Amino acid sequence: MVLVRHAIRLVIREPRRTVTSALGVTIAAALLTSVVLFGTASGATVTKRALATLPVDAQALLAPGADSAAAATLISADPAVTAVVPFGLIHFDSASLTKAGAATQTGTGVVVGVGPTYSATTGLFGVSQGAAAPGSITISRDLATNLGAIPGDAVTLRLPGGATVDLTVSGIVDTTGADLLLGPTDAAHRAVGANSPTNVAVTDLATAKAIQAKIPAGATATDPATTGNAPSGGSSVVVAPEAAVRHEIDVRYDHSQLPGDPSSAQTWLDQVRRRIERQAGGTITMIDDASASLEPVAKDLAWGQVLFIFLGLPGVALALVLSRFAAESGSEATRRHAALLRARGASFRELLGVFLGATAITAALGSIVGAAIGLGLSVGLFGSELATTNAVVTVGLVIVLAVAATTLLATLAAALPIRDQLRHEVAAGRQELQRARRPLWQRLYLDVVALVSAVVVYVLVGGSGVHPVLNAEGNPTVSLALTSFAAPFLLWIGGTLGLLRLIGFATARSEGLAGVLRRPLGAGGELAGRSFAARSGAASRAIVLLALAFSFAASVLIFDATYRQQQHVDASLSLGADLRATSAAPVDAGAVALVIGPGVAAATPFSDRVVYVGSEAQDLLAIDPTSLPATAPLADGFFQGTTSQAAMAALVAQPDAILVSAETAKDYSVVPGDRLRIRVPDAHGQLREVDFHMAGIALEFPTAPKDAFLVANLSYVAAQTGDGRITSVLARSDGASTAAVRDRLGTGWTVADIGSTTARLANSVTSVDLEALVFIDVGFAVLIASLGLALFLLAGLSERRRELATFLAIGADPGQLRAAITGEAGVVGVAGLAAGLVTGVLVGITLLAILAGVFDPPADVPVVPVAAVAAVGLAVVVGLAVAVIVAGGVLSRIGVIAALRER
Amino acid sequence: MNETVRCAAATRRFISRGLAPLTAVNAVDLVVHQGEFVAIEGPSGSGKTTLLGLLAGIDRPDDGTVSVLGHDLARLSPLERARLRRTKIGIVFQSFGLIAALDVGENVALPLTLAGVDPATRLIHARAGLDEVGLGHAIHARIDELSGGERQRIGVARALITNPGLVLADEPAGSLDDETGSRVIDLLERACRERRASIVLVTHDPASASRADRRISMFDGRLIDGAA
Repeated sequence: MVLVRHAIRLVIREPRRTVTSALGVTIAAALLTSVVLFGTASGATVTKRALATLPVDAQALLAPGADSAAAATLISADPAVTAVVPFGLIHFDSASLTKAGAATQTGTGVVVGVGPTYSATTGLFGVSQGAAAPGSITISRDLATNLGAIPGDAVTLRLPGGATVDLTVSGIVDTTGADLLLGPTDAAHRAVGANSPTNVAVTDLATAKAIQAKIPAGATATDPATTGNAPSGGSSVVVAPEAAVRHEIDVRYDHSQLPGDPSSAQTWLDQVRRRIERQAGGTITMIDDASASLEPVAKDLAWGQVLFIFLGLPGVALALVLSRFAAESGSEATRRHAALLRARGASFRELLGVFLGATAITAALGSIVGAAIGLGLSVGLFGSELATTNAVVTVGLVIVLAVAATTLLATLAAALPIRDQLRHEVAAGRQELQRARRPLWQRLYLDVVALVSAVVVYVLVGGSGVHPVLNAEGNPTVSLALTSFAAPFLLWIGGTLGLLRLIGFATARSEGLAGVLRRPLGAGGELAGRSFAARSGAASRAIVLLALAFSFAASVLIFDATYRQQQHVDASLSLGADLRATSAAPVDAGAVALVIGPGVAAATPFSDRVVYVGSEAQDLLAIDPTSLPATAPLADGFFQGTTSQAAMAALVAQPDAILVSAETAKDYSVVPGDRLRIRVPDAHGQLREVDFHMAGIALEFPTAPKDAFLVANLSYVAAQTGDGRITSVLARSDGASTAAVRDRLGTGWTVADIGSTTARLANSVTSVDLEALVFIDVGFAVLIASLGLALFLLAGLSERRRELATFLAIGADPGQLRAAITGEAGVVGVAGLAAGLVTGVLVGITLLAILAGVFDPPADVPVVPVAAVAAVGLAVVVGLAVAVIVAGGVLSRIGVIAALRER
Repeated sequence: MNETVRCAAATRRFISRGLAPLTAVNAVDLVVHQGEFVAIEGPSGSGKTTLLGLLAGIDRPDDGTVSVLGHDLARLSPLERARLRRTKIGIVFQSFGLIAALDVGENVALPLTLAGVDPATRLIHARAGLDEVGLGHAIHARIDELSGGERQRIGVARALITNPGLVLADEPAGSLDDETGSRVIDLLERACRERRASIVLVTHDPASASRADRRISMFDGRLIDGAA
């Protein structure tokens, strides 16, 4: 109790020492709190985004004979539910169209029955051409393409059980986003990744009921995707076929009630599902689409954790180093108090207890203040994203953890220096003047050991360390192992110690510095040079702290710039170009001329049609290789063993050339030069065999799905099939808006741009905007650098009070001593920034290598944001200038007579 | 005879929060002539060092005037006072006042460094100064390699390197044994007499004070006798 009282008294009676010691831990706690809260907010953001684009949160499947109206009433009574809409789905075995004496038939598909409010409630099944009319159907683009049907045509559907129904096509419907509703609902089918049908017809509920009446009870669907055949790439799982008719109530929940964290959100959704099913007493089975959508998001958060660890924790570590710096600057006060207590009979153990207690109290106070600052920053920067139902509990937990962790770490960081100081009972200033023995880590060459170990671990665990793997569902997710962090951790430790050794070596041999500094700064500069060599230990620590802080900021900026570039490339790649105009139905290639106009720099025709390689359907991207490179993003990394320029040149030179995806090349064992016979639909939907010659392998291609695709000449495909129509126009924007392009094209076109595509893709944590995290990291890095230098200067003044008083007594004017301080700060600043820039670029490149999996497509080279890095450098210089001014103020307050009398 | 120092009713008070004001130097009148060796004796806390600070222009009197080598210190700016100390006043400290970051030669030449003298000239003067105190061989030695007596001799060499008109010595033998201390005082006295420089020696050691031309006692901030 006595020790605690003494410790508290020490904290209260030495406010300056307390504040200085608390500085580092305050920053550490603020940084840790804001970084962790950023992670939490990101989780909430991705949860919101993942569900924002989901048309339906849950599908309530009705048992045969269940009362649809009663079920809707029951479900809508649940407090979590905001909207319910009925939905019916009927499978058909085939669809056919007889026109001008020729009959066209296509495979299986589904008829969807929805009410008049369905589209407005869910955003699904918008009519892009024609109009919905009672008693008729609107059909999907694929069904229209396959049958060659246009509005006004009569289509015949063959139903399970053998009956047929004739329906008039009244328009083309957009089925985008309806995969989960159109696909099978049972878990077994979903687990094997069954595809949803592409032949889709949409009608009103009454018509759907009439069609359903023609299907015998108990009939099942014949669609291969919903029967016992597992889709390609799946396992040999045998699943029961789906019923031919499905009745359900589609449900939307109140998203404001959802917890932010994806896992907690899944738990909440599960509770709602169970609650409704329990009340329905077996008449309803809930299919939780929202929870299924959150599944990959929850896994993607693993990447987020890696990202936050690499982008945030080095800053926390630096802040803790700063806290040790601060503790060292208070060593004189510690010595004075220790001498007093010793004179009163305190033992070594008691002294250690008092000072460690005071350190822990100071660290706790600093941590609490820091956590409050971190919370304030987080609320200011991304407060709205934190506002979820359980935000108070989450934020409270984060603050408690941040305070506990930083208090513990700061106390541990200060424990050894305090113990050593009390044991030796020598003022830090005197220690500086003695020929100190090299630290243990230098004598043991731990820096070299750590660097070599980093290389060994890097090689042993296989390169980048963090790998995407395929989970049971075949989705890419992230495998994180502790070994993933071992190499970068060892590299960081080894690099820091190595830098400390190198700079220590250089500063101890800086005799020539006095002459260099004398020129601009006069006698003060010369004194700075001399003093620098004498204080090489402290100086090299300050340089390394500054270098690490700057390199931390630079590496974060490099990572962020590359991340942003790849985000743009990803969006651009998915869209195909800056702008993409897609027609509701295939159009003549002359539509390109309509797109070209003010604000459009270049445009190219583009056709995406489903073709068959053997029995496997693949996307054939028919392009114009002469105009595409000027319009769409093409990188050398998209092609295997060749450049983008060479790949396009091959298509230009050889009309029947075709680029195949890596998967296709592997599956069919084809190499460049091989002939490929592919079945391509003609203008009437009939498949024709067309011969191509393989020209190379494309790993990525604008608009292409990641797996199987083919790229060929549009002109060749048109000549071979008699169908030169295109599905879209890709354009490079030079300021044109989507609205302007849409106006030029007229109705029947949808125009998408990079902005809307980026927003659509931003459904996982890897697409989170890092702006706030970068702002926090860089801001704290500048603060740490400035405070580190201020502490170095102030500690120097404190250690050398008598020395400075002597200078003043024998005739140094204050300006000369200020020049000396400026010289010291200048050397630390220049050396720190230079070392920081080099290490920052290295760390940035390492980060990109370690986190390569974050990028899709991978970055060819890191982006160095020169202006941003220079701005941070300038901010550090301003911080140094402030530190020099503060130190100058302290210098002017030195009492010469009193200082000369000090022993 | 020229006056090197003239104090007229010089007073210096210290005010600390919660404590009664302390008059460390109380209406001191003092004249030191050129080449004169004056010793100011007194117990600890009598105001000797504060008076020395006033004479050096490090501190300023609250009342009265202090003139050194014809300069009224109150009329000089801090920069001018610093320049006066650097060129005309030599100071010897009880704890030597040497800079550990500098070697012996650099310590001796420090006033010249501050005056902007080029390194080569400084080295010549430093060598001469060290030869005078018998330490020419140690010009490149580190301070922590020297004994206490040697360090104080370096302090003396530094105080004399600019050929000052006034040397202020604050207990120069206070950290040394009697014999070494006596030798340092001998050295200081001899060098100053050769240069016709005045010495103000502050000490509580009667033996050291006995070497002076004039001994002045100080008690409670006042000079008791021998001031004029």
